[in-house]
Amino acid sequence: MSTAATRPKRTATWQRRLRAGGMSALWAVAGVLLVVLMWEGVKLMGSVIPLPWSTDDTAMPHVWTMLQGFSQPEVRGSETSVFEAVVAASLFSLVVAMGGFAIGVSIGLLLAIVMQRFAFMERGLLPFVIASQTVPLIALAPLIVGIGNRISIGPFQWGTTQSVMFIASYLAFFPLSVGALRGLQAPSATNLELMRSYASTPRQTLMKLRFPASIPYLVPALKVSAAASVVGTVVAEISAGVRGGIGRLLIEYAREATSTPSKVFVAMFGSIVVGLLAAGLVVLLDMYLTRNLPKEGSS
Amino acid sequence: MAGRLRFLWPPILVAVIFLGAWELLVRAKDIKPFLLPAPSLIASNFTKDVSLMFGAGVYTATTALLGLALGTLVGLMLALAAQRLHVVNSLITPLAAGLAAVPIIALTPILNNMFDITTRTPRVLISAIIVFFPIFVNVTRGLIQVRPVQVELMRSMNARPRTVLRLLRVPNALPFFYTALKIAAPLSVIAALVSEYFGGPQEGLGSRIASSAANSNYGRAWAYVLSAIIVGLVYYLVVLAIERWTTPWTGHAQRA
Amino acid sequence: MTANTAAVEATGVWKVFNPDQANQVIALQDVTLRVEQGEFVSLIGPSGCGKSTLLRVIADLTEPTQGSVQVAGLGAHEARQQQRYGIAFQQSALFDWRTVRRNVELPLELAGWSKAQRMKRALELLDLVQLSDFADHRPWELSGGMQQRVAIARALAADPPLLLMDEPFGALDEMTRERMQNELLRIRMETGKSIIFVTHSIPEAVYLSDRVVVMSPRPGRITDIVPVSLGTRNEDTREDAAFFAGVTAVREALRGHEAATAGRARTGEV
Repeated sequence: MSTAATRPKRTATWQRRLRAGGMSALWAVAGVLLVVLMWEGVKLMGSVIPLPWSTDDTAMPHVWTMLQGFSQPEVRGSETSVFEAVVAASLFSLVVAMGGFAIGVSIGLLLAIVMQRFAFMERGLLPFVIASQTVPLIALAPLIVGIGNRISIGPFQWGTTQSVMFIASYLAFFPLSVGALRGLQAPSATNLELMRSYASTPRQTLMKLRFPASIPYLVPALKVSAAASVVGTVVAEISAGVRGGIGRLLIEYAREATSTPSKVFVAMFGSIVVGLLAAGLVVLLDMYLTRNLPKEGSS
Repeated sequence: MAGRLRFLWPPILVAVIFLGAWELLVRAKDIKPFLLPAPSLIASNFTKDVSLMFGAGVYTATTALLGLALGTLVGLMLALAAQRLHVVNSLITPLAAGLAAVPIIALTPILNNMFDITTRTPRVLISAIIVFFPIFVNVTRGLIQVRPVQVELMRSMNARPRTVLRLLRVPNALPFFYTALKIAAPLSVIAALVSEYFGGPQEGLGSRIASSAANSNYGRAWAYVLSAIIVGLVYYLVVLAIERWTTPWTGHAQRA
Repeated sequence: MTANTAAVEATGVWKVFNPDQANQVIALQDVTLRVEQGEFVSLIGPSGCGKSTLLRVIADLTEPTQGSVQVAGLGAHEARQQQRYGIAFQQSALFDWRTVRRNVELPLELAGWSKAQRMKRALELLDLVQLSDFADHRPWELSGGMQQRVAIARALAADPPLLLMDEPFGALDEMTRERMQNELLRIRMETGKSIIFVTHSIPEAVYLSDRVVVMSPRPGRITDIVPVSLGTRNEDTREDAAFFAGVTAVREALRGHEAATAGRARTGEV
C-alpha cells in the first residue's frame, strides 16, 4: 500500500540523458587514453623486441612530440604555426564537405520521394543506387577535376573546389536516398488506410505521414552521409591537389615526415576533428528533428 | 521465373536508356574524350587491354581481400569479447561511433611510414581497419540483441553461457554479420584502391587510374574505373550468395 | 519423488523489487501454495497481482526475497538444473534457424541426448501434438497456434513431471484458443503431468483446472482458491451449468477482492 510519501520518484529526463551522455564521454576518453597507452607501449616493446614495423621516432613519434608539433612553425621561418595552418585547412574542408552534404541530401531526398511515389522508378533505380556503393567515385576524383576544369557555365568557371564538393555530394547522396526511401515506406498499412479514408492526396500523405514517420530512418542515414562527405572531401582534395584543404596538408606533411614527423599527425588530428564536427552537426540536426518524438527512457 | 523477370527488366531498361543517352550525347555534341568518353570508347579500351585490366584488378582485389579477411577476423573476435565482457563493449563502441565520422584513410601516410611502403602491408591494414568497424558494431549488436524470452527459455533448460552463445546468440547474429559484410566488402575494395593514391607499388587499379588521368589517357582511365566497379560488384554478389546459402531464414523472422 | 510429494510446494514466498526504496514494489507477499502431483492449477488475477512472478520464482528464473520453493521434492534451483519442469511462454520463442523438429530437440541437446534418441523423441512429441507432417518445416511457415503446439512439445521433450505455462494462448484468437485448451487437456490425460497455468481468462481457468488460484495486486498475494469439479471435459462442458457456476465463483472471488480494495482505498489504506 502506497501513500504520498512512498510514491516512486521520477528523475527528470534531461538529467538522465546528461548522465548517460557523460558516461559515454567518459568511456570515449578512456578509449583514447587506452590508445595512447598502447601507442607508447608498442614503442617501448619495439625498442626491445624486433617488431615487423618501424617503431622509431620518425615513423612513430612519441605522443608528446605530436602535441609539441602543434606549436611549431609551419615552414621554417614562417609566422603561422602548424596548429594554425591545420585549423585553417580543416575549416576549409569542413565548409566544402558540408556544402557537398547539403546538396547530396537534397538530391537524395528528392530521389527517395520519386522512388517512393512511383514503384517503377524504385525497381529501376534502386539496384543502381545499391550498385553505386561499389563505384569508387573517390578514385574518379582526378578525372572529375579534369572535366570540371574545362567546364564554364556562362561567366562561372568551375574550379577544383567545386569538383571536390561534387564528389562529396555524390557520396552523401546515395546512403541518404536509401535510408530516406526506407523511411518514406515505413508507415504501417493501418496508418496509410487512415489517410486514404480522409481522401488525402499523395502529397498530403507525404507531408503529414511519410516525412514524420521517416525521421528515425533519416537520422542514421544522415550520419552516414555526413561521414561520407567528409571522407570524399579529404580524399578528393588529395587526388585533386586542392590548395587550402586538409587533404593537401596531409600529403605535404607526410613527405616531410623524415624531418618533422609530428606534422603529419597534427594534420591527421585535424581531419579527425573535421569528421567529428560534421558528426556533431548531424547530432544537432537529429535533436531538432526528433524534438517532438517521445524520448527514450521516459515513461 | 516470371516473377523474377518482373524485377529484372526495370533496372535493365534504365541501364540501356542511360547508356544509350550517354552515347548519343557524346556523339551529338561531339564531346571530347578527355571530357567525357562515350560508353563505346570505354568498352573498346576495356576489351583492348583486358589482360592489363585483369592484372591490375587482381592486384587491388587481393589487397582488398586480405584487408577484408583481417578486419573481419579481428571484428568477430572483439565482438565475441564485447558480448561477454561489458567493459570491452563500453570502450570500443563510442570509439567506433566517433571514428565512423572521420576519414580513416587519413591514416595511410602514417602507416606508410610505419610499415614498408614498398609492400602492400599499409594498404591491407587500412582496408582492415575500415572493415573492422561495421563488422564489430553489427556483430556485437547481433550477439547482444537476442529476445529476452529466448534467453529465459535457455535458462529454464539450464544452459551454460557458452551454450547460450553457441545455440542462440551466434545464429541470431548471422543476419547482422551479413548486413555488415555487404557494406564491408565493397568498402574494402574502395579502401584498397584509394590507399594506392598515397604512394607505393603502382600495379593496382587506383594507381593506374591516377596515372592514366595524368597522361590524359582518359579512355583507359575510365576502363580501369569499370574494372574497379566490376571487382566491387563481384565481392558484393559473392557475399550475397553466401548469405542466401547459409541463412535461408533471413527476412522470414517470426513476429511471435 | 514419492507418492505424496507435492509437485510444487511454495512456502512463505515474498518477492520485493527495490526494497526499502521510494519505488518499492511488493510483487509477492507471503505466498503459500501446494500443488499435488497430476493437478492442474491456474493462477488468475489482474495485472500486477504477481501470477507471472510466482511462476518465475517456481521456475528459478528469479529469486524470491524470502521463502522457499520445492519442486518435486528438490529446491527450485536444483529442479531447474535437473530439468524437472518444462516451460511455455506467451511467445513461442522458436528459433527461426531451426526446423520444427530441431526446435523440439533443443532441451534434449542441452541434456546430452544422442542424435538418434533426440530425433525419435522429437517425432514422438510432434505426433502427440499432431504436427508430425510439419517436422521439417520452418517456424515462420506455421500459424500462431501451431507454433505454440511446437513450444508445448518442446516443453515436454525431456518428460518433466511439471509443466509451467505463462499465458501460452494469450496471443491466439478465441476459436484457436478453445481448440488448444482441448489439446492441452488431452495431452495432460495422456501424460499425467502436473500443470501450473497463468491466465487472464476466467473461462479458460475454469475449463482447464482442478483448482483456480485467485490473486490480487498491491501487494501481490493469493486471496482465494476456487476448486473446480467438472469431471471429464467435452464439447458440452462449456455450456454446462456447473461450468457457469465455476466461472461465477471465480469472478466473484476476483471482484470481491476488488470491492474490498476499493473500500480500503476510500479509507486511505491502499
